Amino acid sequence: MTVFELLQSALDASTLRQAVYANNIANAGTPGYKRQDVAFETLLRSALAGGPSGALGDAQIPIGENEPTYDLRALPSVTPQVYTDTSTTVNSNGNNVDVTEEMVLMAENQVRYDTLVQDISDRLARLRTAITGS
Amino acid sequence: MFDNTSMNISASGLAANQLWLNVIANNIANVNTTRTPQGGPYRAEIVNFAPVQSDVSFQTALGQAVQGIGGGVEVTSITQDTSPFQLVYDPSNPDAVNGYVETSNVNLTTQMVDLIQATRAYQANATAFDAAKQMAVTALGIGK
Repeated sequence: MTVFELLQSALDASTLRQAVYANNIANAGTPGYKRQDVAFETLLRSALAGGPSGALGDAQIPIGENEPTYDLRALPSVTPQVYTDTSTTVNSNGNNVDVTEEMVLMAENQVRYDTLVQDISDRLARLRTAITGS
Repeated sequence: MFDNTSMNISASGLAANQLWLNVIANNIANVNTTRTPQGGPYRAEIVNFAPVQSDVSFQTALGQAVQGIGGGVEVTSITQDTSPFQLVYDPSNPDAVNGYVETSNVNLTTQMVDLIQATRAYQANATAFDAAKQMAVTALGIGK
């Protein structure tokens, strides 16, 4: 997996999250509805942990402080997964959506998406610099 | 993003809450209605929401392993409130029986609370729509 492919799947996860949060908000008043969420970072972390580790280099990424770096090339593709969340408080009509919570998660997801896009843009700019030499 | 799933979901939420607002407005307008074409006083209407089943194309686009995400919300039916009518003492009313008139079972307090709830839900969906739009605009900026 290249860095661009990884960033692309992170963007996919972010896009899917937006759809899932929008669906939670749309169903905030639907009786019996249970909120959904997307698992991606945890799946990515376990996929990375399964691969070989090495020194920090072009294809090596650190996933946290005081943790070994992992070889990105050996990383299998990671697909974001939608799951139903039953951990939050259920109100009297069987619905467990907290609109405030969804708005916070949505804002956070938007910033994450912007960050990823910025990262891709910066990488492309560096490539352009390498090609044109200026 | 480009099949606009998020935006469609938010749009379904906007439409459902708009319908709810219309029904509330109709209930409030008919709070004093004592005669309807069906006979008897006006009965308050209740909007019933249900989730829409997921869009299959989006799942295929993102991989088969993806558990279905919903496709938004829809109003499945509008039912009538079966609670008893209110009795108002008004002997001059042509519908009065022994001086009392059976008037609609619309509870204004409930309707006002629902009105605020529907407005807030509408705003939340509009914000979600805006977020999806902003993300699409950001994605268009890749490589610029």
